[in-house]
Amino acid sequence: MADQTISNVLNQPQWRCLESKIEKSTLHYGRFIISPLWKGQANTIGLALRRTLLSEVEGTCITSVKIKNAIHEYSSLSGVQESVHDILINLKKIILSSSFSGIFEGFLSVVGPKTVLASDLNLPSFIKIVNPDQYIATVNKPINFNLQIYIQKGKGYSLKNPISIKQGFFLVDPVFIPIRSVNYSIHSFEDEKATKEFLIVEVWTNGSIEPKEAIKEASYNLVNLFTPLVSQEYQQLKNQLFKEDEKNKELNFIETNSNAISDNENSYNLYNQIFLDQLELSSRAYNSLKKNNINTISDLLKYSYEDLLKIKNFGKKSADQVIEQLKKRFKIQL
Amino acid sequence: MTLQTNQTEKFTLPDLGKIQLQNFYNFLTKIIYKELKAFPKIYDSEHNFEFKIYPEEFFLVEPILNERESIYKSITYSTELYVTAELNCIKNQTKQKQKVLLGHIPLITSNGSFIINGISRAVVSQILRSPGIYFGSQLDSNSKCIYTATIISESGSRLKLEIDDRKLIWARISKKRKVSAIVLLLSMGIKLSDITRSIEHPAILDNILKKKNVLSNQKDAILEIYKQLFSAGGDPNFSDNILSELQRTFFQQRCEIGLIGRSNLNKKLGLNIPDEEIFLLPEDILATINYLIKLSLGIGSLDDIDHLKNRRVKSISDFLSEQLKNALNKIENTIEQSIKNISKRKRILTPKSLINSGILLAFFKDFFGSHPLSQFLDQTNSLTELVHKRRISSLGPGGLTRRTASFHVRDIHPSHYGRICPIETSEGMNAGLVASLASNATINTMGFIESPFYQLNDSSLFDKPIFLSAREDENFRIALGNRLAIDQEIQEKQITPARYKQEFINTPWSLANLRSIFPWQYFSIGASLIPFLEHDDANRALMGSNMQRQAVPLLITERPIVGTGFEANIARDSGAPLISNIDGKIQYLDSEFIEILGVDKKTYKLKLSNYQRSNNNTCIHHRAIVQLNQWVRKGQILADGATTIRGELSLGRNILVAYMPWEGYNFEDAVLISDRLIYDDLYTSIHIQKYELEIKINHQGQDKITKDIPHIDKYFLRHLDENGLVTLGSWVEAGDVLIGKLSSQEREDSLKVPEGKLLQAIFGLQIGNSRDTSLKLPAGGEGRVIDIQWIFQDEGGIDSNNFVNVYVLQKRRIQVGDKIAGRHGNKGIVSQILSRHDMPYLQNGTSIDMVLSPLGVPSRMNVGQILECLLGFAGKFLNKNYRITPFDERYEREASRKLVLSELHKAKKLTGYPWLLEPENAGKSRLFDGRTGETFNQPVTVGSAYILKLIHQVDDKIHARSTGPYSLVTQQPVRGRSRGGGQRVGEMEVWALEGFGAAYILQEMLTVKSDHIHSRYDVLGAIVTGTTIKTPTTTPESFRLLARELRCLGIQINDIEIYHETLQKKEIEI
Repeated sequence: MADQTISNVLNQPQWRCLESKIEKSTLHYGRFIISPLWKGQANTIGLALRRTLLSEVEGTCITSVKIKNAIHEYSSLSGVQESVHDILINLKKIILSSSFSGIFEGFLSVVGPKTVLASDLNLPSFIKIVNPDQYIATVNKPINFNLQIYIQKGKGYSLKNPISIKQGFFLVDPVFIPIRSVNYSIHSFEDEKATKEFLIVEVWTNGSIEPKEAIKEASYNLVNLFTPLVSQEYQQLKNQLFKEDEKNKELNFIETNSNAISDNENSYNLYNQIFLDQLELSSRAYNSLKKNNINTISDLLKYSYEDLLKIKNFGKKSADQVIEQLKKRFKIQL
Repeated sequence: MTLQTNQTEKFTLPDLGKIQLQNFYNFLTKIIYKELKAFPKIYDSEHNFEFKIYPEEFFLVEPILNERESIYKSITYSTELYVTAELNCIKNQTKQKQKVLLGHIPLITSNGSFIINGISRAVVSQILRSPGIYFGSQLDSNSKCIYTATIISESGSRLKLEIDDRKLIWARISKKRKVSAIVLLLSMGIKLSDITRSIEHPAILDNILKKKNVLSNQKDAILEIYKQLFSAGGDPNFSDNILSELQRTFFQQRCEIGLIGRSNLNKKLGLNIPDEEIFLLPEDILATINYLIKLSLGIGSLDDIDHLKNRRVKSISDFLSEQLKNALNKIENTIEQSIKNISKRKRILTPKSLINSGILLAFFKDFFGSHPLSQFLDQTNSLTELVHKRRISSLGPGGLTRRTASFHVRDIHPSHYGRICPIETSEGMNAGLVASLASNATINTMGFIESPFYQLNDSSLFDKPIFLSAREDENFRIALGNRLAIDQEIQEKQITPARYKQEFINTPWSLANLRSIFPWQYFSIGASLIPFLEHDDANRALMGSNMQRQAVPLLITERPIVGTGFEANIARDSGAPLISNIDGKIQYLDSEFIEILGVDKKTYKLKLSNYQRSNNNTCIHHRAIVQLNQWVRKGQILADGATTIRGELSLGRNILVAYMPWEGYNFEDAVLISDRLIYDDLYTSIHIQKYELEIKINHQGQDKITKDIPHIDKYFLRHLDENGLVTLGSWVEAGDVLIGKLSSQEREDSLKVPEGKLLQAIFGLQIGNSRDTSLKLPAGGEGRVIDIQWIFQDEGGIDSNNFVNVYVLQKRRIQVGDKIAGRHGNKGIVSQILSRHDMPYLQNGTSIDMVLSPLGVPSRMNVGQILECLLGFAGKFLNKNYRITPFDERYEREASRKLVLSELHKAKKLTGYPWLLEPENAGKSRLFDGRTGETFNQPVTVGSAYILKLIHQVDDKIHARSTGPYSLVTQQPVRGRSRGGGQRVGEMEVWALEGFGAAYILQEMLTVKSDHIHSRYDVLGAIVTGTTIKTPTTTPESFRLLARELRCLGIQINDIEIYHETLQKKEIEI
């Protein structure tokens, strides 16, 4: 038993960068190896990594712009070669990198005649422009050309209708995805004992994030995705320990009345972590509870039997089922 | 004689849009003068006054508003025609000479369209049987062979002569009636003795003369024809009336053959009558009879009416000259009327006062507004526009009709080679009737289509292309140029396929007379945009060329990696890009205009279009591609249009496609796309909708534009400004009020309201005297208001109305239900949008953009798409664009395939990706499933294809109805999305319900949900109160309608119940 754990630790898969190059400022490439893996593990990791890299890695983008004197996106600005809409399209192409999340403001203020590039933007010092030579507009008159831009970090892409936006603000339809492409390949090799695999992952990014960082972030996000599944038991364990602690405390300090309350709070916290799946309800009942945003036992506890009956598609049968299950599994009475 | 062509004049493509322009130029320069010249002198009744015009002194005025402004202001883009007119008083020897405005003539725009009331229109050329004589044979009612000679006049009506098996010769006057040809000849004033002398086989004539009781003089003959023509009862007497009526209805219409007809008759019958004789002469008829007799004896040849030598094209100038002629006639009449009693009038008339300058425009507007060949210009993209103007239609007045046209006239004919495109025509009813002009064809002054050829003869190496009409090229051997003589030495011996008298022959080069110019010569411009066209089945190529015309201009376009080399020409000639009209230097530019300092030191200002609406609600937009201080030449492209990139036509995007099934989502031509197409705006298009509101001003008062609309949620009024108009730049959604308008209501209406009477009595108030007639944004119309515009009508009459137009711009991303297509007729509907990480991916990790069905290829036989896709793939890695000429197999066997594979090989070398070309499955590669990471079990064809987004989008078609309007008579829900109609439960749907025994659903469909008025209302009550819906017991409205219609026919239909016990009758009202 002990041997195995040691060898497990020794055989923990390691990952290493094989190659890293900057093909262009907007195209970074990295190749990584993860080894050793048991047979079948390479695909599990590779696939999960590819999918999370493509979908879960965050990027920084210009999300909206305020342009003075522009009535709408399709109007033209005197002295500027591009229409507002063309400027927005060009702004969408600017790649930014930032380590902070939140909404930041940036400015562009130039006096024409001038070709305006991304490098003319004034941004907070922690936001870097990956492609400073990205063309924005050409100003052909000696006029002030001002933009006020808003930058945000995000995941995926956002397509909003401009209904919610104030006048003079234009949405850019940001695409936050910093990963251009991911590829992985599985190779097997012979160990002393068994056939093992190693995984090679190739990542191309748009330059706003190093491939290595991207892999880290993706893995972190992937692990985070699993935490609810893992932490449930942990939480239960932790809560139990905590409860025992409390009880000890109670013994020390003789406070009879608070006992019930804290116990109640504790169990409430516990129920906060238990999801409805545990109740093994019929799918009808489960779905309608979910629809009403009842996800955990604690959410459920806020409802009385009568309240439950008022939920859409939730009949007496379902309610009885809930009561029964709560009683059976958690000894709770609604 | 070979490809060593130093002496050859470089052949360039003609200006593809010039057909219309040239023709209209001809109208302006020649026809107007010709028609004015025919304007007679007009005298008053006492011949004291004389009115005349000087046709030499006519001139046209440059229009005040330019083309764009005319569209914007909803007026007609026209010029003024001035002419010098003179009014002479012969008695007093006084002369009044004035320049007078004769009227307005709509002008062609630089793009070859017309702007009538602010709407772009195109005039499609018509192809008609050319005037002349055509011999044919047909079977009569006894299935005996008869020979006919049809004489087609200039107006299109015809006169038919025929010889039957008994050798009798008839002239067919109407469909049923015929008279002896002798009668016709006699009536034309020729003597019987002359006839006998002129006929070559008098025996046949004797035969005729024996049979018929012979009419011998002209009067009798005319009477006879009159009787036949009008089948008048009794015996009419000969009078001048009859003569003039016949003149008008028969001879003038059927016997005016015109210049073309005369030359045709002369050629065909071997006559030598001068060209000026534009009417049918008795000599013609005699010669025809002779020819018919010869035919019946087996000598001579019949005509092929589908041959292009027998069909001529009627273009704008012909249409307009007809209108001008009619208008001038009308003007002549009005002048005649007003000049008649001129001497009795007190006021002295001037030439100006005699001419009503409105007549001309009225005639032209009538033509442009109502003639079926003056069509609403199809402006989906710039190609569409150009193709529309190059279209040739057999339909229209004087032409064929859709339903009666036979297969023969729709078919491709050998004479179409290089003149009319064999592939581009519409599908369905109009197939073959609406064709497209081949890319190099021109139309000559007579209206015949000509195609260019290189001359091949020993003395002079081919130099200039010569243009030949269908009649001329028939007797030449035309080498097709699909096999080239590469080596000059052995060239003489080589045999080439050639066209000769409608046949394909193989002939040595030395015997060939002509050579075709280049392979695209045979195709229309739409078809010549398809690469690897020769690998596509004709049906699919047809769809491909048609669907390119439906492509929507995209936000960011891209030219095809694999093209044909026609893109630049078409883009330039379509008028979409802005082209410099001067050599000079760019002095200033922004998104509104470009200023050029010309070499002549003058400044030229060229306006750019900014998000303008086209006729098809797509976007017209210019994007400057020149820089400040750049030198430009005349003809250089200054700004790209919405569908051009650097002057090349670019209708779609090059995207990565794979031909593989994917979970059934590409079953039956459905298409699966990646969400990259959405967020990268690959297929985002701009659509601009115009909403029009009429503001009526009539005797009841004016409509009021106001912000205060009663009984409407304030939310819907949030965009209105003080005056009740929507503010510019606001984002509007369905239901929002764009223009608040209140119309005054009839007074009596408001009095009918009881409390109205009371209120009026007490307070002197009027309630409900205005009705809400606001303009509300319909469902699916949300977007940005980019323009608001008032149109004031000029005519300041009492009932003149003004208009307000609101332009709403929509940005539409691709979505499930949109139609997309390639250029090879491979079309499909987007069925599912997958995220990038779920899509299959290449061996280098790149996700596929679009998954097409492999089953869409074999049965459709459009292999061109595969070649395009693979060559595009190679081009993508090699960063190369290809321009492919068709029929490259003349160089070697399987040349296209070899080219594609060699390019793929190069790409493989360059990138080091071995999977780009694997020997065991060339052109295919293994793909991975983005969901599982496993390979698919078959290698998949992957490549980069040029895919277009078509105008058929779900947003324009999606429709649902819960309740809505009902049609007045039947009380059934109305039809059509625009009216908020219902879905038809037709026969098949009823059968389906019957099949399942779903009786209650069926009854519901036919009563409650349709035309049972009472239960319709009861349902609402039942739903509100929560009671059960009652089953209707009476008949629905449409049944009542049927019963009433039958009663109108005198059939009584009643519903009577007879009680079993008492035998009492009870009638139930239906």
